[in-house]
Amino acid sequence: MKTLLKLTTALSAVVLSANLAFAGPKEVSGPGADPECFAPWSSEVKYFQWDEKPGPYRVAVVNGFVGNTWRIQMIKTAKAFAEDPTMKEKISEFKVVSTGTDAPAQLGAIEDFINQGYDAIVTIAVSPDGFDRVIRLADRNDVVLVPFDNVLDTDKVMQVNEDQLKMGRMWAQFAVNELKKKGVTSGKILEVRGLPGNSVDRDRSIGINEVLKASDGDWDVVQVVGNWDDGTTQKVVADAIAVHGEFVAVVGQGGSNGVIQALKDADHPWVPVAGESENGFRKAIAEYSDDGLKGISIGQSPGLVAIAMKAAVSALEGKPMPQLISVPLPVATYDELEDGKNYWSDLPDNFFTVNEFPPCGVNISGPAIMSQTEEDVK
Amino acid sequence: MTTASLGRWLSRNMGFSAALLLLAILFLTYNSLHPRGFSSAVAIQNANETVAIAFVAMAQTLPVLLGGLDLSVGAVMTLTNCVASEVLHGSPLQIVFGVGLTLLTGTLFGFMNGCIVVYGRIQPIIATLATGAVAIGLALLIRPKPGGNVDDDLSWALTNSVWDLADTYGFAEGGEAWWIRPFADIPVPFLIVVIVATLVWVPFRRSVIGRTVYAIGSAEGAAYMSGLPIQRAKIVAFTLGGFLASCGGLYLAIQTSSGNADIQQAGAYTLNSIAAVVLGGTSLLGGTGGAIGSLVGAMILRVISFYFRILDIDPLLQPLIEGLVLLTAVSFGVFRTLRVRNQLDLFR
Repeated sequence: MKTLLKLTTALSAVVLSANLAFAGPKEVSGPGADPECFAPWSSEVKYFQWDEKPGPYRVAVVNGFVGNTWRIQMIKTAKAFAEDPTMKEKISEFKVVSTGTDAPAQLGAIEDFINQGYDAIVTIAVSPDGFDRVIRLADRNDVVLVPFDNVLDTDKVMQVNEDQLKMGRMWAQFAVNELKKKGVTSGKILEVRGLPGNSVDRDRSIGINEVLKASDGDWDVVQVVGNWDDGTTQKVVADAIAVHGEFVAVVGQGGSNGVIQALKDADHPWVPVAGESENGFRKAIAEYSDDGLKGISIGQSPGLVAIAMKAAVSALEGKPMPQLISVPLPVATYDELEDGKNYWSDLPDNFFTVNEFPPCGVNISGPAIMSQTEEDVK
Repeated sequence: MTTASLGRWLSRNMGFSAALLLLAILFLTYNSLHPRGFSSAVAIQNANETVAIAFVAMAQTLPVLLGGLDLSVGAVMTLTNCVASEVLHGSPLQIVFGVGLTLLTGTLFGFMNGCIVVYGRIQPIIATLATGAVAIGLALLIRPKPGGNVDDDLSWALTNSVWDLADTYGFAEGGEAWWIRPFADIPVPFLIVVIVATLVWVPFRRSVIGRTVYAIGSAEGAAYMSGLPIQRAKIVAFTLGGFLASCGGLYLAIQTSSGNADIQQAGAYTLNSIAAVVLGGTSLLGGTGGAIGSLVGAMILRVISFYFRILDIDPLLQPLIEGLVLLTAVSFGVFRTLRVRNQLDLFR
């Protein structure tokens, strides 16, 4: 008991002294390391620099909700990337936990990993707010905390995401360009939206409509809400075709397999389609592009986790990093598709194809992820 | 306590004692496996994570003791969390007022639940399913988007050790006074739960109303024939449940400095609270158990998930393992059925 008391006193003394010396990243001026991969979100983004720590590092991924394809693929990607030759020697210990949609549990897990002396923690936040305490603790203990995908409403941590606005613009621009090639200058364009009230849905839609408005064509945009879900999307697209007859193009945010299925079922002629990165969508583009299904596929990649891990390691190596990192959008158009390279005819339709980010040296292919077993991370 | 009376206490509180033992084993093992086990930092983290579910589990205990279930506890926690995120800032007086308002919201909501059950004569499980949806609706109205403004000092002081509390508010010589030293490393959240449990639960249990709640759970007819205040006891039980759930919501707001009308989170808390109540030795049939047991149950629930952070277990297998461990833990309560001579004894 006495030794226990001594131990706790000593440890609390360490904690207290750590409290006194405020640590955390310094704000520095750019440019940051590896700007091809870690592109700053905008020119106003500030840069962080942590003190260099000797490797190898202990890295943890704290996921929230688990249970859809995207999240499972994200976890498998994280495990595969930790085994990647470029990362393996830099990571001494790697752990993944999922806390469910429970904020105290997620905050607790992050704090626990800070207590355990982990060097970096990568997380998909269950809420855009409420992380003040763990951010403070992470800074005091010189731990690099990197939220990605669902990011936080703060500029105090380094975060990683894709530019949703730009994604919307690219989709629409592609559709407009393809229509121009065909000589179509007016007509109805179907826009399939995602989950209402979500910032990602909002930003993507703003991007799409901005470009359509600015183009010189005379477009009548019809909006349907597909919730990024294949089933819902198929239903609403089928309804839209029944009501409006024919569309000159479809610009969808997600549930792209549903778009294709609905077009097929209605015997709608193949038109340019912009969509997410589901394997089934890419299979369809590859199959029917000669018949007119000119497609572009851009996605929110589960591979973002790999970029977040890479960014965390880069920060630990003492390199200056942008506070908000915009990951290059993984784009594939119909003329770039190649079986076994950016889509897989032997893998399921709901698999998210985009995992690779060549500018970042993240080259984890679909089969590499699928070969990850359910065994323990050793 | 003599050996004989200790033995009697143990046999009367089998479920609770088993839960306490299980918690002790799990917690000590966790701390010895943790690289910084038995330290104040780990205790603070564990306490912070447990407070909300502990309060919600205590809230759930009361309707369960009556022989019912309250499906609105998670929603009331979420509602009060959103209320708190709006009012916990400004001058100290305003903050105190905000705390009062938050607790009052939950208490009134519980009172409403009680009135619906008693005067509306609707089964608690159905009544609270509906009022839970109402609570979430109100929460979304107050806070359509996550966020809020909670006093920084308050949230820092209450989510750390006693030393930080003294340091933040500058009493007891900033935490250096001799009389506060023995308590300096104790997590404040732990103290909050202990204080609420002793000041609210213990007196309640000893009161006539409290005993009536137990009597209703074991035999409502007999309780009625004995002239116990049945209706009043039911209303008080739900009101107290609302109060305890609002303690959880209040703490959640302080912990996260924000409010979030998260429907999934509310549902998860309601279900976990039932699990914690059962783990703590309270019978779902009503009449036996108590809020302290649920507190222990909530801690067990949390400690199980702590293990995933120190052991190497595949992330996709974690929910499965958590479920299996939970099932095993709950099964401990069933052991008593192996010893009874007469099956009918089980229904006493």
